[in-house]
Amino acid sequence: MKKLSAAAALLAAAALVLSGCSAAQPDGDTTITFMGWGSPEEIDTFKTMIAQYEEKYPGVTVDYITVADADFATKLQTMIASKKTPDVFYLQPDKLTQYVDAGLLADLSSYVDDNQEFSVDNVWKKALDFYRYDGTTRGTGAIYGLPKDIGPFALAYNKDLFDAAGITAPTDDAPWTWDQFEAAAKTLTQGSGNDKVYGSSPYSLESAVWSNGADWLNADRTKVTVTDPKFVEALQWVADLNLVDHVVPSPEEQSALPDYQRFVDGKVAMMGIGPWNQGGLWNDATFNWDIMPWPVSPSTGTEAIWLGSIGFGVANSSKDKTDAANLAAFMAFNKDAQRTNIEKGQAIPNLIDMAKSDYLTSDKAPANKQEFLRIIEDYGRIATQTTTYDQEWFTLFNSNVASVFKGEKTAAEYTASVQDEMQKLLDEGIAKQGQ
Amino acid sequence: MTTSTPRRASSMRRHERLWGLAFVTPIAVQALLFCVIPVGIAVYAGFTNWNGLSGRRDFIGFANFGEFLTDKYFWIASGNTVVMLVPIPFYLFFGILLALGAHRGTPGSGVFRTLFFLPYISSIVALVVLWKWIFNYQYGLVNQGLALVGIQGPDWLGDPAWIKTTIVLMIGWKLIGITSIYILAALKNIPPTYYEAARIDGASTLRQFFQITLPMLTPAIFFLTVIGVIGSLQTFVEVQLFTSSGGPDYSAATITYYIWQKAFGSNELGLASATATFFALVLLAVTLIQLRLSRRWVFEGE
Repeated sequence: MKKLSAAAALLAAAALVLSGCSAAQPDGDTTITFMGWGSPEEIDTFKTMIAQYEEKYPGVTVDYITVADADFATKLQTMIASKKTPDVFYLQPDKLTQYVDAGLLADLSSYVDDNQEFSVDNVWKKALDFYRYDGTTRGTGAIYGLPKDIGPFALAYNKDLFDAAGITAPTDDAPWTWDQFEAAAKTLTQGSGNDKVYGSSPYSLESAVWSNGADWLNADRTKVTVTDPKFVEALQWVADLNLVDHVVPSPEEQSALPDYQRFVDGKVAMMGIGPWNQGGLWNDATFNWDIMPWPVSPSTGTEAIWLGSIGFGVANSSKDKTDAANLAAFMAFNKDAQRTNIEKGQAIPNLIDMAKSDYLTSDKAPANKQEFLRIIEDYGRIATQTTTYDQEWFTLFNSNVASVFKGEKTAAEYTASVQDEMQKLLDEGIAKQGQ
Repeated sequence: MTTSTPRRASSMRRHERLWGLAFVTPIAVQALLFCVIPVGIAVYAGFTNWNGLSGRRDFIGFANFGEFLTDKYFWIASGNTVVMLVPIPFYLFFGILLALGAHRGTPGSGVFRTLFFLPYISSIVALVVLWKWIFNYQYGLVNQGLALVGIQGPDWLGDPAWIKTTIVLMIGWKLIGITSIYILAALKNIPPTYYEAARIDGASTLRQFFQITLPMLTPAIFFLTVIGVIGSLQTFVEVQLFTSSGGPDYSAATITYYIWQKAFGSNELGLASATATFFALVLLAVTLIQLRLSRRWVFEGE
């Protein structure tokens, strides 16, 4: 008897340990796991959408896992490594090349062409381009994700400060040149010390570089081109807005008070914003504000700025890819959710017809909503670092670009000092691609 | 409990052995599953090109070790990691001072003990948020205070020359409390008869401190040093919360931060595992050296 009970104890101990490994089977025929992050509000919206999805597709149960945004990438990678990839998950376009190369993402191309949830013609082309990859180049080829959102980055301005300074914002058909922007910023900059009002928040380096006809990399993404004189000129111009003109906050001041806070405090007159800022500004801004086209380099006259996006990916390892893709599409293009996004000022609809009707006709700020759509349809670009295998070369560039903004190095000195190492990191990424 | 008498002694021993095994099994299985096996996998992964995404794990020998040992950022991180040792003597000194105060029953010492212990039990995230405000360049308490006496304070969190100082200050401040609690416990263990004997022999208070108190505290100080060195060398959360991507010019990144960044930022789990293995061996060596040196200064009793 005793031997038996000792053996039983051993077994029980083993069972206790092993039970942690096997998951309980919930009700329903199929269970799809979905992992994402978000504010409590966003999570509530998703819970509502998931309930609607489960109603529409009986027999499918969704297991919704939420993670803090800072922990998301680590958590996802751990799940991938342990072969427990969620069926549907938030997909950062920066990671797409690596994920596809590792065979982690399901090809959704045929699903996109033929499905019951949406029509591909009604989705922003660039929103899908974020998730296209043909095995060598991004932006073309098969689709590996559906957009959760698309975020055009626009230049917002404090209309009250503009009026007080007697400045009229430019219209879409006649954007300011850099010189006009600089002149306006100088007029708008007033006061000193902690009460100083600056003309603008730090200027978007992407906009300046691209508008000046330069880029971090060449067109086929194989060569680092930061020592290109046009790149150097753009970087120096952005830095000189602080160093020479003193019309934007210094790097130290930026770290002390975030741009957004400065803008709502009325301490900067212009700031880049995304659609996700609209709701916050409705609550926080005590002045009139609107958005305007990005200024253009006098040497090219080209408008340029970046677009952001987060998507939904479907795991290649998923046993129920159609159900999973339906869930991704349901969440990406659900009309109620898109309408909620408009009402809360969180995002611009992914569906073109809704953006051009419901969104454009809503009466909340900004008045010039068309500018957001123009960035999506016309001059918005997918960021250079998003389209490469990894972002190591870009991280290196950013690691001490602050030394240019602080005036410790000139743009020419800095770019020359990082060019070779950036190239080395880019080459390493290219070597890993497609392996 | 039991009423049956074993017929043979060996049978009883066997029973006992089985029961012993039954009691040991859970913890042994746990150690195996969550310690031995993961460590084994990590050591092995260090010799592969595993990227954590695909299942590929080709054996590549010592290539990973060569890679991080020739990576200048690894050496920058190593230098930064050594700097994290700086707070140890400071929090030991102030911890002992506080413990002595509390031990003597200085009025209000209970309140101070609680106050000094508070940082240790507070969430590190909350502390960092607090410190970010205190050391804010434009609106922080420190720089506003300095401005009162006409000094423009540095950019504590953005300047490569100052960011490590801020982190070191925070580590020191955070650990004074727990140090003093350990020392206080050690102080309470010193038999009062030693002091009586010393007083009868006419020893001064100072002499009593150096001849009795301090030697009797050395085991506790030794323990705190070993734990402190390991903890300091593993500094990670502060770096991650205070800086983005390790600070300007990698000026605040530590080795654990480097490992984390390689594993989860660059998807080079093989390289990260190799670095972690190497770092674990260094920590082991440092600890063994400390143990060896301890014979020279730690009082172990008669």
